[in-house]
Amino acid sequence: MKYPVNNGDDVAALNDISLDIRQGEFISLLGPSGCGKTTLLRIIADLIQPTSGSVSIHGQTPREIRIQKKYGFVFQSPVLYDWRTVRRNICMPMEIMGIPKKERTARIDRMLELVDLQDFGSKYPFELSGGMQQRVGIARALALDPEYLMMDEPFSALDEFTREKLNEDLLHIWSKTNKTIIFVTHNIPESVFLSDRVVVLSPHPGRISAIVDIDLPRPRRNTLRETPEFYEYVAKIRKSFEGV
Amino acid sequence: MTMSEDRKGKKMVAAVWIICIAAAWELLAYLLKYVIKDQMADMKLPFPHDIVITLVQNWRVLLEAGAVTFSRAVIGFAFGAGVGIILAVVMSLSKTLEKIAFPYLIISQMIPVLGLAPIIFNIVRDMNVSRILIAAYITFFPVAVNMLSGLKSVEQEKKDLLYSIAAGKYSVYTKLMFPFSMSYLFTGLKIAAPMAVTASILVDMLGSKSGIGVKILYSLYSNSTNIFWASVVTSAFMGIISYYIVVFIQKMLLPWQNVIPKEAGAAV
Repeated sequence: MKYPVNNGDDVAALNDISLDIRQGEFISLLGPSGCGKTTLLRIIADLIQPTSGSVSIHGQTPREIRIQKKYGFVFQSPVLYDWRTVRRNICMPMEIMGIPKKERTARIDRMLELVDLQDFGSKYPFELSGGMQQRVGIARALALDPEYLMMDEPFSALDEFTREKLNEDLLHIWSKTNKTIIFVTHNIPESVFLSDRVVVLSPHPGRISAIVDIDLPRPRRNTLRETPEFYEYVAKIRKSFEGV
Repeated sequence: MTMSEDRKGKKMVAAVWIICIAAAWELLAYLLKYVIKDQMADMKLPFPHDIVITLVQNWRVLLEAGAVTFSRAVIGFAFGAGVGIILAVVMSLSKTLEKIAFPYLIISQMIPVLGLAPIIFNIVRDMNVSRILIAAYITFFPVAVNMLSGLKSVEQEKKDLLYSIAAGKYSVYTKLMFPFSMSYLFTGLKIAAPMAVTASILVDMLGSKSGIGVKILYSLYSNSTNIFWASVVTSAFMGIISYYIVVFIQKMLLPWQNVIPKEAGAAV
């Protein structure tokens, strides 16, 4: 996957960004607010159109990827539909796709199991904690079995404990589904813990200042956060922000 | 305080209020009639128990008259609500159409119904059709405005989600816009329901032969004070009932709102 983005002088300027993303990898876009990381993700997802420049993903445009429903998107807030139960929230993309009812039920069961919410299918979103709501959001994004999972700071509104728990859960989900995950965050330890590679973006104009391979063993557990290797990566990435 | 205790408390408060008001009313009526010796006491402030007795004695007549007015109000209300919803959807689909239509909607509400009703009656020359049209006329505006504000309040991310899976316009409306706007729509319906009843009563008074408005008018002229008050109470009851029918339908159709804590729900 390769995409150069050139966004002229417009609002969130992104300059000459090109980047290869490998099949099945977990890649993070890391940077301070204003570096255009969310803009970049939204351009890849065709949620906003760049003023100039182009993006290609395996030779396809973002629009083609979107029309073919090849990605699932997880937003910063869970964006659940309050009038639908957990099950029906996960079901919603499948209704749009016109997937037969029998298969829907089976898939919802699988998704609920995947995000460990088997007992909460008939609850309404507001009855769940923030972390659970975001897990429903992930299940919904995976419901159509897309190639890519795009996540826009999905855990940034959660407290530290819930965030670390969900980081671990996400890796578990990823290992079971083999999706290519593009994960936007401003949290350095989170990006190190999750990713195969961390793309460090710097602002004014938005550009890639470093790409760091995270060579930590998998499966990763939260205890990894206490190891010196983990600290080293965090320090290394922090350093790449200096002088920016 | 638990939920049931809270409810019980509310009911207690309501009961105490009703008893207090009734008692105060009885007392004032007594003062007016026997202490101040006002000639018009029965007209100004009749004894509540007299009204109750009249209601019980004349329940059949009042019910029949009420039913005539109320049923036309319901038809007009349904009709007006339908027009209001369609208008809101059309305006939400096109900014241009909204800009064209909205000023006229506002102007339409500046024409007093009291003036409009005779005109409508002169045109259609039918009491029932007039009742329905006026009730519809009153209903469509609050419904259209509230529904439109609901459709416009849908968060961008909720739309982005559907966009990200390439949902069509029809799906966007059925899966997102309509369900989201329901609580707003019902706010409009709750405002409109008693107004539709009032409109229907008003049309009664323009020279109808049946309906609760006629009862009010005739009893006023013929000095049958108790019937007058009983009719007024019946009218008030119709307005209240219309409101609670809408509330009931809302509870049936929007089950998720029953469980959402009040402060979390949108416009309630």
